[in-house]
Formats: sequence, structure tokens, C-alpha cells
Amino acid sequence: MKDVDAHLDPGDVIEVAGVNGAGKSTLLRLLAGLTRPSSGTITDRPAVVGFAPDRFPLEQPFTVSGYLRHMSRIRGGARWEPWAERLGMAHLLGLRLGELSKGSAHKVGLTQALMCEPGLLILDEPFAGLDADTREVLPSIVTELSEGGAIVVASDHQGGLRHLPSIRHWTVVDGVVKEGTAGQRATVRVDLPVDEVRSFIARMRDEGYRVHDIVTEEQS
Amino acid sequence: MIALTVFRVAAYIRSHRIFQALLLMLALIAILYGSRAPKGAETEVLTDAAVLVIPILAWSSRSLLDTEPDQQRAMSAISVGGRLRELGAGLLAAFATSLVLIALALGWGLVLGVSAVPGPEEFAAVLTLYGLATLTGVTLGALTSRAILRSPAISIMTLLLGFLVMLMLSASPLYWLTVPVITWMKSANSAELTARLPELAAISLAWCLLGLACYAWLRRTRP
Repeated sequence: MKDVDAHLDPGDVIEVAGVNGAGKSTLLRLLAGLTRPSSGTITDRPAVVGFAPDRFPLEQPFTVSGYLRHMSRIRGGARWEPWAERLGMAHLLGLRLGELSKGSAHKVGLTQALMCEPGLLILDEPFAGLDADTREVLPSIVTELSEGGAIVVASDHQGGLRHLPSIRHWTVVDGVVKEGTAGQRATVRVDLPVDEVRSFIARMRDEGYRVHDIVTEEQS
Repeated sequence: MIALTVFRVAAYIRSHRIFQALLLMLALIAILYGSRAPKGAETEVLTDAAVLVIPILAWSSRSLLDTEPDQQRAMSAISVGGRLRELGAGLLAAFATSLVLIALALGWGLVLGVSAVPGPEEFAAVLTLYGLATLTGVTLGALTSRAILRSPAISIMTLLLGFLVMLMLSASPLYWLTVPVITWMKSANSAELTARLPELAAISLAWCLLGLACYAWLRRTRP
């Protein structure tokens, strides 16, 4: 990551996009405090962080309920049962972790991240493999957490949170984070000397922007 | 941190990995104490056993630390409130498990391996050495765990070579350059263990703490 300068406020929901290998997971690990930045600082991270990985580690010798009980004790007795119920996991609780499908395993990862009432929730591909019911529930959970003041950062190829009204979009390109409003476009009026118009238009087109009609002062 | 320690010990037991170390330990002490040592040789015999179980304790510690998948280690670190606590919980779990294994070796030795319990001073020295052997095993196991050495082959070779180097170096005049395990044995054989214990314990503890500090330092970039 380089030249990352961002400020997150309580209630922010960030959707992180970018091609594979662009640095999304590194960014999430930095935000979660799992990786220390080689230069620069991340300050005022909320005390309680929840992290749901893109691939939940199934190679563990526990049942789902046994695992969640352990996680609950590590979190100081956090209540996981309501989250398990909400994510439709009641029928999975007696199964061993190794027996779970990818989507079911993902729910276990989400439950352990949500049970602690996090001030910062990091979700790595939260919709991957989820069934339709849970895909519908998850945006409302994120909205509730956001309204409660939590910051939610989600790396999401599938755009499952895109319709949330307050969402901020980050794109990671070669380790650089750009903030924008994905899917929506804006038209910007630029005032510049006539003799610079050609080079300006060429530059904008080179950078991939659409350039519309050119209006000079005489015409307007 | 205690809850995470319990989680890691539970995973180690439930994965049945503990049986590898347990069976090896049982085989070793069955051979060591195959015939009861004559009266007067208690301190030497128990000290020899303390040294010989170190690689098993190292293997057990390495195995316990490697039971947790890397991704779970990351989740545990976040859940418990930071990398340092996660690291501490792992070492504590390895130490607790090693203590149980070495207590088994000591108990077996006292019941079936020696003809009498050593005198109070010698026994206190032997107990100190068992504590230091446990710490040495945990340190060696941590330094060869997957977080530090990704390759299982290199890891197990490093563990065994590390113990062999420890044996060779501690048999030389430069014994203070490592945990002086052979010097423990020599001192016990020449009835000097209680007299030399402060020196030997200080050297052993210093190397173990240095090894654990190296482990913590390396883990900064090897999550």
C-alpha cells in the first residue's frame, strides 16, 4: 500500500473493490491491526474489532457450537446465539467444522466477528458462498451496526452492500486507494484557456474519462 | 488470554496431536526407567531424564502451536485484543502442556525409576532443572513452529539439529553459549548440582528468554 490517507467516521460503511492482488486483503489486515504498516500510522482504531475472513479455516477439531463457545469466552462471554439464529445456523450447530460447506463455514466466520458488538467490523468477501436468505439479511445487519456507530469495511466483489445509501466506495489499484462513488457518474465543468483545450481533452481521454461537447465563451 | 490458552490446548487435545508426544514420552521413560536405579543415583538419573525429554517437549510445543490454522491465528489475535496476547496465549498453552508431559516423566521416575527420593536440596535442584527443561523445550518448539519456519521438513530438522548443537556445545568449555544441558548432567553426576545450580540456572534462563524474545521479534513479520 502507498500514499493511503483516509479518515473513517463512526457509522461509515466502506466497500473496497479492486482486482485480485491489488492489495485489498493487505488493506483489510492493516485496518484490523493484523499487519503493522512499514511506514505511517493508523490511529484511534476502535477497541473492539470483528474480522470475518474470506475463507473460514475449517481444519479445526470442534463442532460449530463448541467453536463459537470458545470464541465467546475469548470475547469475554459475548452472546453468539442470537447471531447464529439470525444467520440461519441453528441446524449447523452440532456439525463438525470440517463437515461444513463453504457458505456454512462463512456464516461461522461472520458469527464470531459479529458476536462482540464491534466498533470496527472488517468483512472479507462477506457474500461469497452465502445462501439467498443470508444474502438478504447481511445488508440489514451492516446497516444496524452502522446506525449504532460501528465502522464497517467490506471487501466485496459481488456488490452486495452497494445499494446502502451511506456507503463509501474505495478502489484499490496497485496498492493505491482511490475513493469514489462506484456506478454513479458526475459531470464536471472545467474553465480553462482555449489554447489548452486540446491538450486537456487528450489528457482526460488518455486517463479514461468521457469528454462531452466543448463549449466556448463565444458559444455560451 | 486464559480463554485463548484453553482454546489452544483444547484444539491440541481434540486434534489428537497430543498423543504423538504422549506416546513418544511414554516410550522414552519406559526405556529410561526400565530398571530401577540403585540408591544414591537418584539425582543423576532424574537429571538425565530432564535433558532427554527436551526434544519431545519441543516437538509437543511446536505441534501445539501449529495446530491452529494461520487464518484462525489472525482471528484469535483480533478476538483477544492483539498479536502480543495471542503470542502469549500460544506460549502459555505450550508451557502448560509441556509441564503435564514432564510431570508425567518425573512422576514415573520417582515411582518406578529410582530407589529413593533425593534429599530436599537435591530434589529442589532437580525440580528447578525440570522447570528449565520445560522452558527450553517450549523455546525450541516455538522457534521451529510454522509461523517461523514454513517448511515442515526444515522445521523438524532445525528442531533436532538445534538440540544436537545444544548437546555438543554444552559438552564443551563453551557450555555457557547455550542451555548447558550436558553440564547439568555432569554436575549431577559429580554431586555438584546444588552448588552450581545458580550459575547453570542463570545461563539456561537467559538463553531461554533470549530465544523467546527472538520468537516474539520474528513473529512481528510472521503472523
